[in-house]
Amino acid sequence: MRAFESVHPAAAFAYFISVLLVAMFTAHPVLLCEALLGAVLFCAILSAKGFWKNMASYVPLFAIIALSNPLFSHNGVTMLFFLNGNPVTLEAVLYGADIAVMLIAVIYWFQCYSFVMTSDKFLYLFGKAIPKLSLVLSMALRFIPLFKAQLIRVNRAQKAMGLYSGKSFTDKLRSAGRVLLALITWSLENAVETGDSMRARGYGLHGRSHFALFRFTGRDGVLLGISAALTGLTLTGRALGGADFAFYPRITGISTAPLSLAVYLAFGALTLLPFIIETEESLKWTYFVSKI
Amino acid sequence: MKKKDLHVILFLILAAAVLLKGTHIRSVEEYYRTHIDDITPESETVFISIRCNTVLNNRDKLNPALQSDEFVPPDGVILQKSEYVLREGDTAFDMLERAVRANRIQMEYQGGNLNVYNSVYVQGINYLYEFSCGPLSGWMYLVNGVFPNYGSSKYTLCDGDTVEWVYTCDLGCDVGCEWMEGG
Repeated sequence: MRAFESVHPAAAFAYFISVLLVAMFTAHPVLLCEALLGAVLFCAILSAKGFWKNMASYVPLFAIIALSNPLFSHNGVTMLFFLNGNPVTLEAVLYGADIAVMLIAVIYWFQCYSFVMTSDKFLYLFGKAIPKLSLVLSMALRFIPLFKAQLIRVNRAQKAMGLYSGKSFTDKLRSAGRVLLALITWSLENAVETGDSMRARGYGLHGRSHFALFRFTGRDGVLLGISAALTGLTLTGRALGGADFAFYPRITGISTAPLSLAVYLAFGALTLLPFIIETEESLKWTYFVSKI
Repeated sequence: MKKKDLHVILFLILAAAVLLKGTHIRSVEEYYRTHIDDITPESETVFISIRCNTVLNNRDKLNPALQSDEFVPPDGVILQKSEYVLREGDTAFDMLERAVRANRIQMEYQGGNLNVYNSVYVQGINYLYEFSCGPLSGWMYLVNGVFPNYGSSKYTLCDGDTVEWVYTCDLGCDVGCEWMEGG
């Protein structure tokens, strides 16, 4: 159990929403790099196993996004060369890289989210106010991890049966296609079954209560306060033009005005918050262990 | 097993070759090294100019990244009225492309095969794009002082025509185009 997992669902949810809100609606490279750094550090702590392998899979994604943008966008003053009569510009490449950083950062944040905000926490928060939507949302958010787990299971079963077990690359591809087909049928069926099962158990019926062991402690209040203050600072700074950045037609420099620095600092602190909490907790733990 | 892989690899190489054959890479210098026909007494010519005067009155609406004399000249003239040789079958768009290429002015357009009008759409000239100066802004063209109601790559020019490319910030109202209002 990680420290951040024991935080009250409301505080954790508010934290994730505020980070994602800022990260998804900005194109400022400094803020996006901060978001990526914070997410990667947090994710590394939450899922130490398989983290690097996971990270390597994002390199091709990054390259595809960064290099496909200049094929469609020809704005920008620094022309590198002409491709079929259209300029490929440095600005477009950098903008593509910027967007790729944003996408990967957001993916990482959602990974952390799914680690921390398990579906029981989400249902605890919204089960009463919006029972149908919160069920759909928690099922949708659970879908990808579930899909992945089932993928591994189907793959193993196929291998055990000796199907396409050759070393040939083509065979591997064909077997992957077969596994995907099985997965899609399974997921459709699974969705129907889950719905039936939930209904049979009386989910969302009036007058039902549920029990959860979440208590809002002073620590959660402090976390909520700090994240609200930092988000407020970031958003006000942004509204005042502290995080203005333009890629087209010419890249504006990264501003070092006091207001901009304040925005960078506030958002940097916000994104590093979970990492700081986790590090503090593990230091405490090692300290206590050393005393025994 | 190995043979199957070989086929796949061969196919991939073939696909890459076709892709590379279709792409044509040129350096910036090469692209701009174009030949402009010399004007001789018997050659047919047209006049072309590119202006963005309307932006000067709407500075507040202009995208902050474009607030510079480099992108919006102080007098609003991107290309002075100049004379170019008209080749057989040249359209208003062909003339624009040749003129901007000869003067190293940036221009981006959507190809005629990409929209329902089957005509080229000029998205931006000199980094000044559609919507760069408010939601009603973009490039329009006049031939001999009249706004033709169809795409620039469908308008074939005649000897002595005057083509003006103007930037509007108000769907043509501020450059004297009447028919856009009704639409």
